[in-house]
Parts: sequence; structure tokens; C-alpha cells
Amino acid sequence: MSNYLELSITEINKLLKNKEIKPIDLVLEAIERIEKNSDLNAFITLDKENAIERAKELENKEVDNLLFGIPIAVKDNIVTKDLRTTCASHMLENFVPIYNATVVEKILDKNMIIIGKCNMDEFAMGSTSRTSYFGAPLNPWNKTKIAGGSSGGSASCVSARLVPLALGSDTGGSIRQPSSYCGIVGMKPTYGRVSRYGLIAFASSLDQIGPMTGCVYDNALLLNAISGHDDNDLTSSYKEVEDYTRLIGKDIKDMKIAVPNFFMSDIVDQEIKNKVENIIELLKNNGASVDYIDINYIENAVTLYQIIAMGEASSNLARFDGVRYGYSCSNPKNIDDLYKRTRQEGFGNEVKRRIMVGSYLLSGKNATTYYNKALQIRDDITKSFKEAFTKYDLIIGPNTTTVAYGINENLDNPLQTFLDDVLVIPVNMAGLPGMNVPIGFNKDNLPIGLQIIGNSFEEAKMYQLASFIEKELNLDLRPKEVK
Amino acid sequence: MSNYTTTVGIEVHVELKTKTKIFSSSKNDYANMANTHVNVIDLGYPGTLPTLNKEVIRKAIMASYILNCDINKKMHFDRKNYFYPDLPKGYQITQARTPIGTDGYVEIEIDGKKKKIGIHDIHIEEDTCKSIHYNNSSLLDFNRSGVPLIEIVTKPDISSSKEAILYLEKLRELLLYADISDCKIEEGSMRCDVNVSVSKTSKLGTKIEVKNIGSISNVKLAIDSEEKRQIALLEQGNTLKEETRRFDEKTSSTILMRVKETGNDYRYFPEADIPYLCLDQEYIDEVIKEIPMLSSKRRELYLKAGISEINVNKILQNRAISDYLNRYLDKNINLVIASNLLLGDIASYLNKMNVTIDETHFNMDKFIKVVNMLDNKDLSSKVFKEILVDLFETDNDINDLLVKHGIVEIKVDDLKKIIKNIIDNNTANVLEYKNGNDRIFKYFIGQVMKETKGSADPILVNQLLLEELNK
Repeated sequence: MSNYLELSITEINKLLKNKEIKPIDLVLEAIERIEKNSDLNAFITLDKENAIERAKELENKEVDNLLFGIPIAVKDNIVTKDLRTTCASHMLENFVPIYNATVVEKILDKNMIIIGKCNMDEFAMGSTSRTSYFGAPLNPWNKTKIAGGSSGGSASCVSARLVPLALGSDTGGSIRQPSSYCGIVGMKPTYGRVSRYGLIAFASSLDQIGPMTGCVYDNALLLNAISGHDDNDLTSSYKEVEDYTRLIGKDIKDMKIAVPNFFMSDIVDQEIKNKVENIIELLKNNGASVDYIDINYIENAVTLYQIIAMGEASSNLARFDGVRYGYSCSNPKNIDDLYKRTRQEGFGNEVKRRIMVGSYLLSGKNATTYYNKALQIRDDITKSFKEAFTKYDLIIGPNTTTVAYGINENLDNPLQTFLDDVLVIPVNMAGLPGMNVPIGFNKDNLPIGLQIIGNSFEEAKMYQLASFIEKELNLDLRPKEVK
Repeated sequence: MSNYTTTVGIEVHVELKTKTKIFSSSKNDYANMANTHVNVIDLGYPGTLPTLNKEVIRKAIMASYILNCDINKKMHFDRKNYFYPDLPKGYQITQARTPIGTDGYVEIEIDGKKKKIGIHDIHIEEDTCKSIHYNNSSLLDFNRSGVPLIEIVTKPDISSSKEAILYLEKLRELLLYADISDCKIEEGSMRCDVNVSVSKTSKLGTKIEVKNIGSISNVKLAIDSEEKRQIALLEQGNTLKEETRRFDEKTSSTILMRVKETGNDYRYFPEADIPYLCLDQEYIDEVIKEIPMLSSKRRELYLKAGISEINVNKILQNRAISDYLNRYLDKNINLVIASNLLLGDIASYLNKMNVTIDETHFNMDKFIKVVNMLDNKDLSSKVFKEILVDLFETDNDINDLLVKHGIVEIKVDDLKKIIKNIIDNNTANVLEYKNGNDRIFKYFIGQVMKETKGSADPILVNQLLLEELNK
């Protein structure tokens, strides 16, 4: 088997340009790797025939950009025309969309090749990918561990180098947390940077699509490709797209960095804290300043998230009613029976739980007691972050409180899934960009990640710091268990 | 019975006249074949997001302005959540907390007195699909899904069915002339719900809602029958519960649909897919300037031009005629004659042929010429009738048409000569006329008409003949 997919995008591009390899070589390697490692359960749908056909079409085309001919995996909550999009739910098990998401159009414009659709938590609700109707994807570093979630399949397949790049989505840490668990680079861009058109909505005010890759430079390249205003998404920003690779390689001297005290409190595993402290030392030794700060209400972010995300989800998922598309129960007695049984049989437990809680939170007076209050405190968190960014370039800390845990651990504790995300959720609340960059392994050889948080639309600066750390640590991030 | 007072509030849904739907680029034209103006957004497809049609905001600003409302400069949309097959997303995008217009009024005139009917608010929302019940199943037409609506909600200021009708008629005229909606109640582009309560005290009675009434006259019947029904129940010692009813045309009465339990819980919350909308005053002013001339202004101008009140009312009943007449407001022609033509011969021709005037050859230049000739008595209305069809259907000039029809108009001087000639050659008859035989006058007219081949204006002939005979 060839090993092209372990190279960086720039290296692959050189081979393609020099005609040493063709896109079909990459596609066949990806398919072979995916099939050999099917136990990872990273994919829900593989688009083998189309990928091969497209690779052959590309043979006659000029290699016009760095992403040309590169296989990519797409999280299964991003709609792909004529390619099954399930949201890892029984509800959409046989749903074949009739249009492409804007990000899909964008990657196809770059002549990338979609290999398949990645496993995830059902409707992106979870942080373990265990709520998937198709079973949980596994962590390539240790197949008895979770890959994290909700973009667990995307993290797993990139980590195992089944594909060099994947798209994920992040509502409350769903790109950063699995990236941390699986030892890859994952970016949740600023809210509004990437069009949400075609992303099956979980919580509209929080959802954001982002790149998940093996290294920092590749990540910035993919962000370049998918960013920009979209007339189909009123929440997408008109802010000009810059070249996100432009600061990569620049030194970090005089960079002002802050660490929220909450991020280094007792809730975080000591081994993880040690690794983060090592990074802090590294940065200081290279001319950056690091201060500890407080961000207001940051410790309440999970509670706010539950109210806002579940409230919005209860409304966003109302459209799955068995009338027009997706699962529809058999022989309904009347319209109410159709609604009840379709949703009862079509949704998994976690999704139903969140719809119920969300509906309750928006009912009657609760809307003012909970939802509106949550929106207010959310503003306060945002203000506090913005205030910090008047003094600091970037904020750092761990992404997770623990490393990836056992595939059967904490199964009967639905609240644990939210506590996993206590460090990543504040970023979504404030609409800021946040990313994961791997910074080492624990004693059991499970990856540990650093979270980098930037001010709105300052992704380039985050990549600058991330690439510096990547270069300094020079970790071997290829899991050994992968065939 | 008479010591009860009735209180009515009206909610009117009006479909806006825009090219496309409110949140998608599908055409706003649901009269066409079912499910032909539909895209993934209208279907509530997973992953789709709304865009916002600017034209909707413009029309809603216009509506707010003409209904004397305060215009909300910072507003957002909200989701109203409920399950129904005609609601593809499981929620309707509407404005619950920040309606575009608030606290306005419509002025009506009742028994010679002016009264302001307060407008509580005007909000923007999307229409649902149209359900069609067929045999034992329900079919959905998504052409209507996402058609832009404004809902106009009055304060409980209406105290009789008569006032309700006057309010609705005034509202309809305002919206029609501002080009906001075509307000066709029968076709569903204007729909009314009324809230009726009766009370013996100053405290409002229990509110009963009557939904989806199909015509203005049915609004009157619905209110009258509700008034009677509620008073009768109260007189029997019953207490009323809040209910939703519908109007039954066959019996002219209302029928219970459902009792309102604890108030519907629509779980309203802000629509995150549409950012806050901020309108600056400059934009609002620009939009207001573009409001077409309203009926009140038109009435004023027409009356000033000397058009009779009866004709003014007739013109205003037909927006197309009024719009056409307005093209000549600055053309310095006799608008009385112009309006007579438009309401008379022209209207009947256009109705008969089922065309608009702009689809014919009767262009503005011709119209001006005809009006001026009639005004100067260079053309009689009788002759006009004769050449009418040719004016509409050919490019020929009027003078050519007169020649073609062999009825070149007699000039007044020529007519005078002819009359003098006839009188001079009929001295015996003149004498008889002067001796009191009035019937002879008709003979003279006949002679003149014969001589002029019927092309002379009979009224003018009458007048000139009298002058000459009485010399």
C-alpha cells in the first residue's frame, strides 16, 4: 500500500503537479485504508464509485490549486446532493438530499474529492459519538476508547490518516474535543465565517462548520477554501477572507497570551495541566508573555449552553414530522399519530431528551425565566472575552478535562457528556474562533490537546501560534494501531 | 338587551404584492398550478436557511406609514412553534416581540362623525402551505408556503358591525392604493379574524374569536350573529368561555371549532437564522416617498378638477382607471371630459374586449387629442363613438379616421352657414315656427342633420338653430 495520505497537502500537491501520482492513486489509497480500518466505524456512507469516477475526470484537468484532487470526508450532517446524509439518525437513514451545502459546493469548486460521510453523534447531540444510530466510531489511538464527539467520525478518520482532511461542525466543542481526543488539528472558526447553508441545524446561533486535519498548515488551507459570505446564509459575515496561512512560520515574540484561571482549575486532569504548563513555559521562553485572567460567568457556560442549544434544537428538529422526507411511521391512524410515532421511532434517546428539555425551557414563562436570561448572560460572557482581547492576542488552555475515556464509560450519565465540554462551550457562547492543536500524550499514550481561542476573525493569528507549537514539539501523530 | 355594549377587534392577514416569496427566491404567485413555485427552502428541507426579501420590508414600512404606526427601527423575527401539516418547518417565522409597526390608527367616518380605530401592531410573517382536502386525504400546495404576509391587529376599538365594515373597507382601499396588496378577500389575499365580546359593564366581556371569514359582508353577519348569540347565553345566566369559532355561510351563524384551554403555547423565541434588522431614517424616508398616491389625495385632486362626486367615487373604485387618469394630471387637458370617456365608452370597450388600454393602439397622444377635440367641440361624442373601434385597433390618426368614415367634423362656422341657408330657404316654416308651432323646430333639426350627413353635434345644432330662429 502507498503512503501518500501520510504526507502533507503541500507535499501531495507537488507529486500531483509533477505527475508522479494521479488523484485516483489518492482515492484508491483512501478507500483501501478505510476498508482495512472499517472497525473504526468512522464512516456512515462511503461514496466509492463516484469518488473513483471523479478522480478519473480530474486526470484531464490542470492541477490549479493546493487542494486539487485531495480526498476529503464530510460530517454526515452536511448535505451532499445525491449522497445519503443521515445525521447518524434512523430518522434520516435513507435521506438523499437534492442540493449541496455551500461548503460542499466550495470544496467541489476546488476539485476536491468527497470520499464519504463521517459518523457522528445523532444530530450532533453528544460528545462521544455514541448516540449515533450506526454505532460509535473508535479512537485510532486506542480502540477501546471513544473518538469524542460529535464530530467523532471526522476526527477518527483524519487521525488514522484514512483521509488527509475532513469537515466537522462545532456547536459546543464538537470539532475541538474529538480533535483533542484523537490528536489532530481542528478549528471552529468565528461564527459567521463559514456558511451554514446545508448544515442540518442543531442550534442555529452556535453551529459552525470547520476544518479537521493532520497538521496546522493543511487546516488553514481548508479554511481558506470554505470561508466567505454566502447569500444563502444571512448570518454569514461579509468580512473579507484573508489567507489564513499568512502568519504561519512567523515567530511569536511579544505575543500577549492569557490563560483563564478556570481552565487550570481542579476540574482538569493533572496530566493535562502539566502539558499545558509545559507549553506556557515554552511560549515564555520564546518571548511571549502569559498572564492568568478571569472571564466572567465562564463557569456557567454549560448551563447557558443547555438552555440555548436545547431550546433551539427543539424547534430546529420540528421539521422531521414524517410528512415530506425522512422516516415516516407505518399506518398512522391520524395526523397526531403520524407525528408521535414518527418522532418516537425515528429519533434516538438523547435527541428526544434534548427536544423535551428544550420544549420545556421555551414553554410559557420559562422562556423569560431561562431562555432570555441565558441570552443576557451569554452577552456578558462575550463582553468579558472581548475585554480580554483588548489586552491579549490569544487565550489558551486545555480543550478537555480528561483524555478520551472508555467506550462504555459514563454511559448511564447523560450529564457527563456536557461536563466533557465545559472548556470548549464558552467559545461557542461568544461566537469566537477556537482550535485544538496536539501537545503530547498521557501515560497511556492518549493524545492531549491545547485549545487556542482568538478574537473574532483572527484565525490567522491562532494558526501562527499553533504552527509554532507544532514545529517546536514535532510530535509523531500517526496512531500505531492503524493498519 | 340594549344595555350591552359590543367590542370588536379585528386581525387582518394581507398577502404582499412582491415578485418573490419572503424567505426564498421562489415566485410569489400561488394562483398557478399547485407546487410549481417551490424550492428547498419552501419545503423546509434540512439544512436550508431563510434569506430576506427586501421588498417585503419596503411594503411593510409603507403599510406602517399609511396606517399611522410608529416604525420599529431595530427589529428581529421570532419563531412560532407548532405542528401542522401545512407548516413545513414546524415553526412559522413571524414577529412577536418587535413588530415593524405599532400604535397606529385608521380613520373612519360613521354617521357623519370621524372615529379613529387604533392599530395595535403590524407584523411581518410567512404564509403556510395551502391544504386541499380531497376524498379521504389532504394534499398540500407549497406555492403558498413562504408567501409574505403582514398581519394588522386593531385595538378593541370597534363597537359595531357597521364600524367593522367601514374599517375594513377603508383599510382595503389604503392598502390597495399604496400597492401593498391586491386585497382580494375572495381569493384569500386578505383574510379576516374577528374577536367579539359583549358586556354590560365597562369591563370587557369574554373574547370569542371567529376565524377566516371569507368576505367583508360575512364579517358583518358574523359579528351580528355572535353579538346575538352571546347576549342570549348571558341572559340565560350562562358564563362564556374563550373560544375559537368559524363562520358558516349557509346558516349565517358561527360554529365552535375549539375551546381555548390555557392559552396556546407557541414557545416563541428569536429566530437566530435572521440577524437583527436595523432601519435608518434615511431609508425609511426614501421608502415613504415611493408610496403611490393614496385615494384621499386622488379624491382631492379629482374634485378640484371639477369631476363630479359620483364619478370620483366610480373612478376610485377602479384603481386601474384612476392610475390611467393620473397620467394626465400634468397634461393640462379637460379632466372632466377625460374621466367621462374613461368611465363610459372606453371602459365598456375594454370590458367587452377584456384588455387593458395599454394593450390597444389608443395611446396617450391619441387620448389627449380626442379630449382636446371634444373640449373644443371639434368632435362630437356621437362621432367619437363611430371611430372608437378604429382608435383602439388601428394606428390611424384621428383626422384620417374622420375622413375615412366620411364624417369630417363640421366646423361651427360652416354649421352656422348651413343653418342660415336652411332658414333662408324655408321662410314659410320659419313663420309658422314663430307663430308658435314648436314641432317645426324638429323639422329644422332634421334638415340640418340631413345636410351634415349626421356629423354635427345635435346639442350644438340645437343651440345654433335656436339662436338663428330667434334673431
